[in-house]
Amino acid sequence: MRDLFVEIAESVRRNKLRTALTGFAVSWGIFMLIVLLGAGNGLMNSFVQGGGGFATNSVSVGGGWTSKPYDGLKQGRRIRLDDGDVATTGGELFVDNVELVSATVGTNATVCYGKKSISGYIDGIYPAAQMMEKREMLAGRFINDKDIADSRKVVVIPESTAQGLLESGESAIGLLGKYVKVGDLAFRVVGIAKSDRMRNSRDLYAPFTTVKTVYGKGQEVGSITFTTKGLDTEKDNEEFEKNYKSVINLRHRAAPDDERAIWVWNRAHQDVQMKQGRNILSTALWIIGLFTLLGGIVGVSNIMLITVKERTHEFGVRKAIGASPWSITKLIISESVAITAFFGYIGMFLGMLTCEVLDKTLGQAKMSIMDEEIAMLVNPGVGLDVALEATLVLIVAGTLAGFFPARKAAGVRPIEALRAE
Amino acid sequence: MLIELKDVNKTYNNGQPLHVLKGINLGIDSGEFVSIMGASGSGKSTLLNILGILDNYDTGEYHIDGRLIKNLSEKQAAAYRNKMIGFIFQSFNLIGFKTAVENVELPLFYQGVNRRKRHELAMQYLDRLGLAGWAGHYPNEMSGGQKQRVAIARALITNPKIILADEPTGALDSKTSEEVMQLLGELNRQDKVTIIVVTHESGVANCTDKIVHIKDGVIGRIEDNREHHSSMFGTQTIMK
Ligand SMILES: Nc1ncnc2c1ncn2[C@@H]1O[C@H](COP(=O)(O)OP(=O)(O)OP(=O)(O)O)[C@@H](O)[C@H]1O
Ligand SMILES: [Mg+2]
Repeated sequence: MRDLFVEIAESVRRNKLRTALTGFAVSWGIFMLIVLLGAGNGLMNSFVQGGGGFATNSVSVGGGWTSKPYDGLKQGRRIRLDDGDVATTGGELFVDNVELVSATVGTNATVCYGKKSISGYIDGIYPAAQMMEKREMLAGRFINDKDIADSRKVVVIPESTAQGLLESGESAIGLLGKYVKVGDLAFRVVGIAKSDRMRNSRDLYAPFTTVKTVYGKGQEVGSITFTTKGLDTEKDNEEFEKNYKSVINLRHRAAPDDERAIWVWNRAHQDVQMKQGRNILSTALWIIGLFTLLGGIVGVSNIMLITVKERTHEFGVRKAIGASPWSITKLIISESVAITAFFGYIGMFLGMLTCEVLDKTLGQAKMSIMDEEIAMLVNPGVGLDVALEATLVLIVAGTLAGFFPARKAAGVRPIEALRAE
Repeated sequence: MLIELKDVNKTYNNGQPLHVLKGINLGIDSGEFVSIMGASGSGKSTLLNILGILDNYDTGEYHIDGRLIKNLSEKQAAAYRNKMIGFIFQSFNLIGFKTAVENVELPLFYQGVNRRKRHELAMQYLDRLGLAGWAGHYPNEMSGGQKQRVAIARALITNPKIILADEPTGALDSKTSEEVMQLLGELNRQDKVTIIVVTHESGVANCTDKIVHIKDGVIGRIEDNREHHSSMFGTQTIMK
């Protein structure tokens, strides 16, 4: 092994400039690959961070209109979800696939604080909604079980809604612990939630039970949201949805296969699409990077060919004194891999450094989309897996680059090689 | 018989076919010191390359130590060359970017001998040829005679049965030529190694015990020269 390295070092030393120039092409190829993938990751991360309003395994259900007659009832009938549906969803029937269940019931109401008032929308929710909708708190707490049990008159206000109740320049946090008037009743503000661009800036959250009793909603439920488990494939998800729909439809005397009686929004599908998009992007970037790298590889192959030509006589001597064709092949391929790997790693290192720089610059730059600040790149850079893959690519590339020259060198008959020069 | 050639024919087919060896029959015993002489183009080098398994022959049979050498793979040929044959070339054929001792070590490298042992042995041989002080020098820092002695050390290091030399003195002056031939003679007597030398020079041939004359691709006269009175060095160097 050490002898091999000595031989490679000798050969490279004799052709410093040529090796360095070709090596630059390899470095450039890997550099581009790493930077492209790193920036691509940053873009995807920013996308996910900006758009991921809900847990990916959450399903929302709402009432719709029947699209076909069933059980003696006409089509076009309004279906309203009720407490029974909530109980069924969380009950025995779906125990294998349903984890947490939350329901909402909402109503429009005027919300006042001091002199300011807005026409808001009170969303009666369960504590589980926080996790399902990925609600992050700015201050205070979210609705909890005690609020539900006691039907407390408390609200959680998203920052953007709070802004409407405050003079410009005042911090939303200032509302924490204060009372706001919702309709005729005073609700205490127990938390300020971070807002995001996916939601209305007139929403307020109150305990499900409070909204129900105060606004006399009876059995009615606006929508049901629950998280699923054990649904690993697209097919599992579809089967579950079909089953779920038929059960809920039947509770409302709608055809089990009526697609419109209730609407079901399963984020798992969205998640699959997101993953597909990510894969397509990274595949495209890999292809671009690999093509850039190809130039470098052709270069290495080229210098190996020249090297082989120059050293034909030497190889003849080696063969005459007992070098097997394989030992010559090995020498050329190792040299090619060594050059490719060495310069590849320089490129990889510089690429990662550039990703760091991107993180410090573009990563901090925000752009404003729909009232929300999002970073252009979030954590750009590549993981260890990509570094390992790139290493593999380099070794394969080096082997390929050395293969044909090596075959040529090994194939020359010693007598011809000795005559060369 | 260490070396046995039976009706060996060789034709070069580059463009105009050229029948170079036309039925060579030759036997050489272990421990012999033989020279092959002949006019330019008579096929001496061709014959030596076949003996050294560097080239193929078309028909006939070539045995080393009873083993038929024919249609070998490159790998087998390399292994035979490595173990049984040492080469000495007119142009030395040392590897320019390796030092003297590294050049001498090389055949052992291809035998898979470890570095330390290789080095030790190479130093011994260099010492024996009076070149211990030159071990770390590169070929272009040495004289022709020194280079040829390094090449001889490289040929000897694997302890081969046969040493093949194609005009080993062709690039040396007559004094150095004589030294090299004396050295080969000593090796032949001390180590009992079989040596075959191709030469133009009768002075060189006279140092050997047997002179094989080759003419137009066939073996002509075989001279017994154990008395070494064929022709002295410096006098009658007819073909140089
Ligand atoms: N590779 C080759 N292809 C075609 N013809 C060749 C080849 N090698 C040698 N020959 C021819 O074969 C003949 C014999 O060549 P060879 O080298 O064996 O002669 P030689 O006796 O060694 O001559 P010299 O004393 O000049 O070295 C010559 O006519 C030469 O031109
Ligand atoms: Mg010749």
